[in-house]
Amino acid sequence: MSKVDSPSETTARFVARMFEMPALRSLPALQREEQALQFLRANGQQLQPLLASMGLGTASDWRATADVLSREMKTYADKLLEAELARAVDRRISLAFYPVLAGGRQAPPNVREELAALCRKISAHPVARRALSGSLAAVLSDLTDKYIPPAWESRKYIHGEVTRVQRLALDSEQCSDLLRVLILLRPAAYLQIAPGPEPTRDSGFTPVPEQALQRALPGLSAQVASLPAAVVRLALRSVLPFPAADNLEATSRLAAIFTHRGRSLAPSLVVDRGADTPDKSWFNVARRNARWHGLDPRMLDELYTIAAEHGW
Amino acid sequence: MKRIADILESIVVGVILAALVHTFLEDCSILAGWTVAARRWIIWAGLGIDIFFTIEFLTRLYVALTRGEAADYIFRQRGWIDFLASVPLLVFNSLPGVLALLAGAGLATGMGSFLNVLKVIKAVRIARILRLLRVVKLFRSIRYARSPLAQRHVAAITTISVTVLVVTVLAGSLLANLGVLPGLEASFQDAQTARARAVSAPGLDAAARAQLARQTGGLDASLLVVRQAGGKVLWTRHDQSYYENHFIPGEYGYYNLNGVETFFDERPIARAAAREGIVFFVAILLSVLAYLFLYSPRFALGISDPLHVMRRGMKESGYNLEVKIPARSPEDDDVFELARLYNSVFLPLKDRESDAGEQAPALALDDVRSLVEKG
Repeated sequence: MSKVDSPSETTARFVARMFEMPALRSLPALQREEQALQFLRANGQQLQPLLASMGLGTASDWRATADVLSREMKTYADKLLEAELARAVDRRISLAFYPVLAGGRQAPPNVREELAALCRKISAHPVARRALSGSLAAVLSDLTDKYIPPAWESRKYIHGEVTRVQRLALDSEQCSDLLRVLILLRPAAYLQIAPGPEPTRDSGFTPVPEQALQRALPGLSAQVASLPAAVVRLALRSVLPFPAADNLEATSRLAAIFTHRGRSLAPSLVVDRGADTPDKSWFNVARRNARWHGLDPRMLDELYTIAAEHGW
Repeated sequence: MKRIADILESIVVGVILAALVHTFLEDCSILAGWTVAARRWIIWAGLGIDIFFTIEFLTRLYVALTRGEAADYIFRQRGWIDFLASVPLLVFNSLPGVLALLAGAGLATGMGSFLNVLKVIKAVRIARILRLLRVVKLFRSIRYARSPLAQRHVAAITTISVTVLVVTVLAGSLLANLGVLPGLEASFQDAQTARARAVSAPGLDAAARAQLARQTGGLDASLLVVRQAGGKVLWTRHDQSYYENHFIPGEYGYYNLNGVETFFDERPIARAAAREGIVFFVAILLSVLAYLFLYSPRFALGISDPLHVMRRGMKESGYNLEVKIPARSPEDDDVFELARLYNSVFLPLKDRESDAGEQAPALALDDVRSLVEKG
């Protein structure tokens, strides 16, 4: 006797298959969700009669169907996200930089738990969740591991800005570790923003006023009390645009750049003959749009050179 | 069905390669003086190949006709090459060659029916050059570049070049055959006619004619046999078995004057033609290889690859790779100028749009629709 699926099972199965389509499969959970929602907004009504024939909503009430599908997409993405967060916090985050920013103290054991808890809170907030997408992709990738050692080796602008201007006595490995933590914490800056009625705009990258960040800092620092407040401050300030914000720290500028890059990472992208490499292409475009995105153009120049030299 | 079509295409490619090897071997066999037994196999193989390509052409034409696409097949899909490289070769080259073999392979046998065929063979020998068009057919079957634009462009250039070469050589051979452009063959024939007239002079008895033939044979190494019309051999340079083993139809010059038959050795003409054939074959093969391995990558690098990258970048929201512009590309190159604009203007604007949330979704409507339809 064959089992007839309930509408919720049909929805879940449809969403699961959609998330596993080749165009989405290689993307992180939140980017898959973003793409799927975007697709639904653009084409959903054309699919409505077909969806209704599958038992997903009715042919007349598109809004209700879209709500059901959106909720299921979020549920499915959350399941995937949980695994990604665990991987990011447990495996990708290292606290080797901790003593440098905490006056020589070693990292307490509950730092990771606090970080994971804050990430869950971020993922539950509609605006911060969108910002988490690029951050998580950047943390899970090898971006900082790839670019910081050559920058330290060449001892040019990036190295000078971090070690001499910002006065952080970090080696390249510690700097990479610090940047990953900043990138992961960065979306917390958007926890203060109330979600708008239309989720179509990417408010995750809308600049946040500096005063709002200063007001939010004590509360957020309390949520990750084991981390030095300076780290949380650097993470929050990474959403400020360069050069508009005064004396924006080099690590915050770097965190902003790598988060932007993380947002555009496409692991399954095949580089055609006649095309430049993904990183080199991205940094070159980012150099031209540096002011638009509020990124440091000189850092982008140096990272572009590193990408070109290494064929990335 | 597709699998069967692929197998058939592979067989066609295999036979094209075999045909090219056959063309080369046929000329080599003449130059190297292979025995008649070996060359007979080559002639029969040529007939088999020409029959295969004629059947292939007729089949493709029939299929195109049933679909109402005959003109498309002949002109756009280069069916005219299929035609030129099959039917004329079968009718004017390999079939007469085999008929001549069947009519009389030796000098002394089947003479009556053989002589007419001999003339036909000489007249249509020029059709052999059409075989070289098969190089284009082979080229068409190779997937040498990922870009269909590059494939079409290089295939068109190759077809034009090879066709122009073949037609020029064909026209030159025709003119030479008609006597407009006298060559080695014409001077050979003039000399042979003079010798034939001398040994066929009227009023000589058999002994005197034999004596004259011996003297003439001493002066002209191409004179092979002088015999009376009844069949009595007055003088011969070699014994019968030598002719059977070293001459095929078409390699004799034949005269019948005043009841006296004279035969001449025309293998030097055949060798000259074979030498020319090999030179043309190598020239065409090398030009095709040059298009394939020298020009095709240049075309891909300078035209089709940049266009492909730009097309993807404009069509796909998640494809933001820049066009790789060689450091030494000319400033006035339109394609690279366009690529520079694409890199410096289009991609940054696209990046801003995607940042503003106006990016097109990576999923295609048809893919999701098929997902829904599958249930």
